Amino acid sequence: MKQAGNKPKQPGIFSLLKPYTGLVTLLILFALFSNSANLWLPKIISHGIDDYIHSRLGHTKFNVNPTIIKFSLAVLFIFIFAYLQSIIQTYTSEKVARDLRTRLSDKISRQSNAFIQEVNPSKLLTNLTADVDSIKLFVSQALVSIVSSVFTIVGASILLLTINWKLALCIIAIIPIIGGTFFWVLRKVRVLFIKSRGVIDWLNKVINESILGSALIRVINSQQLEFDKFLKANTEARDIGLSILRLFAGLIPVITFTANMATLSILALGGHFVINNTMSLGDFAAFNSYLSQLIFPILVIGFMSNIIAQATASFQRINSVLEATDTSETGTVIETLRGEIELKDVSIIYGQRPALKHISFAVKAGSKIAVIGPTAAGKSQLLFLLTGLIKPNEGTILFDGRNIDDYDSESFHSQVGFVFQDSIIFNMSIRENIAFSDTVTDESLEKAINTAELRDFVDALPDQLSTIVSERGASLSGGQKQRIMLARALAINPKVLLLDDFTARVDTGTENKILANVQQNYPGLTLISVTQKIASVEHYDKIILLMEGEIIASGTHDELMHSSPEYVQIFNSQQSTSNYELQSK
Amino acid sequence: MNYNLNDLQANAPKSSTWSSLGKLLKLIAHERKNLILALIAILVNSGLNLEGVLIMGRTIDKYIFVLHKNYHGVLINCSILLAMYLVALLSSYLQTILMGGVGQRMLFTLRNTIFNKLQLLPVGFFNQNKAGDLISRINNDTDKLNQFFSQSLMQFIGSIVTMTGAGIYLLSINIKLGAATLVPAVVILVFTSLTSAWVKSKNARNLKSVGGMSAEIQESLNNFKVIIAFNRRDYFRKKFDEANKQNYNTAIGAGIANNTYVPVYGLFSSLAQLVVLSYGIYLISAGQFGMGLLVSYLAYSNLFYNPLRQLAALWASFQTAMASWDRISHILALDTDLVIVEGTDTAPSKSLLEFRNVHFSYDDSKEILHNISFKLERGKTYALVGPTGGGKTTTASLIARLYDAGKGTVLLDGRDIRTYGPIERTKKIGFILQEPFLFTGTVRENILYSNELYVNHSNEQLEQVIVEANLGSLLAIFEKGLDTEVLSGGDSISLGQKQLIAFMRAVLRNPELLILDEATANIDTVTEKLLSDILNKLPATTTRVIIAHRLNTIENADEIFFVNSGEVILAGSFDHAMDMLLHGKRVS
Repeated sequence: MKQAGNKPKQPGIFSLLKPYTGLVTLLILFALFSNSANLWLPKIISHGIDDYIHSRLGHTKFNVNPTIIKFSLAVLFIFIFAYLQSIIQTYTSEKVARDLRTRLSDKISRQSNAFIQEVNPSKLLTNLTADVDSIKLFVSQALVSIVSSVFTIVGASILLLTINWKLALCIIAIIPIIGGTFFWVLRKVRVLFIKSRGVIDWLNKVINESILGSALIRVINSQQLEFDKFLKANTEARDIGLSILRLFAGLIPVITFTANMATLSILALGGHFVINNTMSLGDFAAFNSYLSQLIFPILVIGFMSNIIAQATASFQRINSVLEATDTSETGTVIETLRGEIELKDVSIIYGQRPALKHISFAVKAGSKIAVIGPTAAGKSQLLFLLTGLIKPNEGTILFDGRNIDDYDSESFHSQVGFVFQDSIIFNMSIRENIAFSDTVTDESLEKAINTAELRDFVDALPDQLSTIVSERGASLSGGQKQRIMLARALAINPKVLLLDDFTARVDTGTENKILANVQQNYPGLTLISVTQKIASVEHYDKIILLMEGEIIASGTHDELMHSSPEYVQIFNSQQSTSNYELQSK
Repeated sequence: MNYNLNDLQANAPKSSTWSSLGKLLKLIAHERKNLILALIAILVNSGLNLEGVLIMGRTIDKYIFVLHKNYHGVLINCSILLAMYLVALLSSYLQTILMGGVGQRMLFTLRNTIFNKLQLLPVGFFNQNKAGDLISRINNDTDKLNQFFSQSLMQFIGSIVTMTGAGIYLLSINIKLGAATLVPAVVILVFTSLTSAWVKSKNARNLKSVGGMSAEIQESLNNFKVIIAFNRRDYFRKKFDEANKQNYNTAIGAGIANNTYVPVYGLFSSLAQLVVLSYGIYLISAGQFGMGLLVSYLAYSNLFYNPLRQLAALWASFQTAMASWDRISHILALDTDLVIVEGTDTAPSKSLLEFRNVHFSYDDSKEILHNISFKLERGKTYALVGPTGGGKTTTASLIARLYDAGKGTVLLDGRDIRTYGPIERTKKIGFILQEPFLFTGTVRENILYSNELYVNHSNEQLEQVIVEANLGSLLAIFEKGLDTEVLSGGDSISLGQKQLIAFMRAVLRNPELLILDEATANIDTVTEKLLSDILNKLPATTTRVIIAHRLNTIENADEIFFVNSGEVILAGSFDHAMDMLLHGKRVS
């Protein structure tokens, strides 16, 4: 096909169709069947007219039946194949779309978290929806339409030439005129289309932010501001729409006028031939019919080239995801962790800015470590490193003396529990949210629920554990979400538990109870807790003070109180109330 | 008030395509003049093209297919035709530009109306609908409308007019043959009206499953780190496969429904040609019809059935657009339940804010707040403390009138809070939300969000203002200061930093009543100390309401309220509050 030849270097969009060769062939075959019968219809009519004229001139009785039978058969033939074609068209395009989405989701599911964040979840969403849709459109419309159109144009031209080549040449002359104008305008329109896509993205961004930030907008009463933002984008969208319109407004009259000129030449020239008796009236009628069959396919090819261009762009976007290198899973060690952790000179750099600088520390198995530090000190990054969610730019991380990369990731993740800072609750039952890993037994589920002090809460729910929680856990309080997340991490019976600012949304009393429960129910657990509150970690085996990505000090609470002024400063800022809490124990 | 769109959709009576269209047309009542002009252009254009076909037939009958052939006559008619086609060239241009303009402006109005409505709806609406679903619904549906209005509308109207005109010519030249030619069209009409509800429901179901699928993808991708940390890559695949499979099935259903029309229309338009041919020849032999007119009739039947066939293709996109419009009109039909009331007979209050016997529930089933009464005085600092899930955020939401009390009254500055206009109310109340939200842009844009006062300040001037408001130390935390970039979703900035921006944003607005809902939960204690100093330096008349369970944040409070199990109790002194918090009954 012509379009495919334009960009030979790309893994062309047609390569996508390879697994469906059978269906596609069938599709094109059926389209050609119905189209060739369609081309035959004017012939049948013209023969009918001529036969009638002959019989009248010869004063014989005209029998209309053969014409009717031929015509009816052709029409039925067209219907059957057009219908079959439409069904196969739907199946093929949806199958291609479904398989492509499956391939994409497979690919995505094998990627690392860093990859997802880098590519951006909303872009992946576009790949999975809008991009797949435009490929679907290509399969269902463009392919068949172009084959049919080329076939009709060539077929009609040949038939016209066999009827009367002189008149035929006049008619065929309109094909390049219409085609040329059309492609010229389309080229200009395409630029505007790309622009309009950008504006639509902009519109959608404003809509999305106005939904996600709906509470803030209402608190500040900035609805008008949001509306102004939207109005600006919307006005731009309208203006581009009007520019596209002006181009089409010029194009359509030109096409109609050219076609009308062809009609005129049929009348003037064809009329002349009929008067001269060099052409029959039936053929004259056939010329008119073929003319009306010719114009539409020219336009279709133009429109379809557009669809192909869009689909090709979508296909390239999808391909860049499909062809991304898989995260290499080199680790094979599946030994049970004791819980000893060591970081050696670990650094993380984002752009030019280091988030963590040369971090080294060691954690004994079964000990309790706290990481304390100001906002944006790199505490969460540290925990992400320890779960293997991100890889260090420099340095090594050892678990039980072995590099974290040596561990089989599945086995590793089933021994390291992580309670994330932000509440991540899935749209499914509480049970599934807690027993999120599929290795969780009923027993460990119970233990996790009791440890996280969720028992009373769960029992008070209408369907207990089977209660469905909605997206982002809108129906739950911040503390409830945090405790569900804790239960989720505990349910896998971890050897190492990582808490990211767990205390931020859980009140002190509950927090103390929970930590005591963890002590009792999960003996030997290595605990690393990132927190802002010194009081709850004072008795920990080691406290690490992190600032600006650097370890400022580390040691027990008493040691730090004597050695680190920064620590004392933080301690004092929490003093008045911490005292109170300590007394109450 | 029920704002759940899925419920509303399920309960709403099925509206027909035409009543949806009627509602849509009301939006462009002001375009009447342009519509009439466009209509005239369309009529002239179609009239000329249709008349041309007749002139052609008459030319054959009069000058070509007769005993006394007259080529001169042919040429005269050709000149007339040429003139007509030239006029049609102009009218065709006008038709497109006028009609298309109406379409574009209609789309513009429609988008504005939708967005405006979204802005008018209360927080409850957004809490009752999944954000992902809502976003997909609005983006998808406006896109479908966009496609129809930008691409199909002109063709749609042009086709209808040409078709009608051809029908009129067919019937007026020879009523018998005309009527016979149109019989297949009647069959098509019946077929279409019988199947249209089916097609519409198939498409609606497909749209719904598309929405479900994007919600699924969004949820999983945004939480990918959990999926990895808990070894549940299979969960993502499984959930997606289910959604994908469902989407595949509904899409095939919709596709087959949409694609039925084209072959059926094709079949009947061919049958119409057959009717013209056989019945026409019969009429000619009976001397009632001319050969040239037969050629015209074949053309007319094409001019009638080709647009009809196009309409079949466009009909599906028209119905998809109407289905989308239907879903959107469900949103447009919603109204905020937070109306502004005229003066009420509530006894005035001397306090800045007062709750009088307030009851509240989110969805009528479970009461969250039971009979709450308290007063907040000007210039004092209050703290709401209590265990998680006790009702602190709900109480704060009522103070800011994000919701209305079910029973009882909330009074702001002496009057029922419901009597205030939004501008006046939000000027008095600043609310730093538990989940800070940032817009894509810069720190400066986010701090100044909806703050008219400093819009024209240069960065230096604004920094000056920030320093004067004692916020300088907070701004210093950001690497590039005011110009630090905030990317979409705000992932480039930590939660604590987001809270700082939200804090600066609220303080610069200089509210009379400032609510901090766990606004410092993710901020380290040193920075928090800074915040607390800033709060203390706010104007003496500013009332502060601090919601926290980190006790050090409330030590400066003048009065402490203990919020638990939907009750708000004045706890008096700090010590008393501590005692209640540590030993009080807990619902969790």
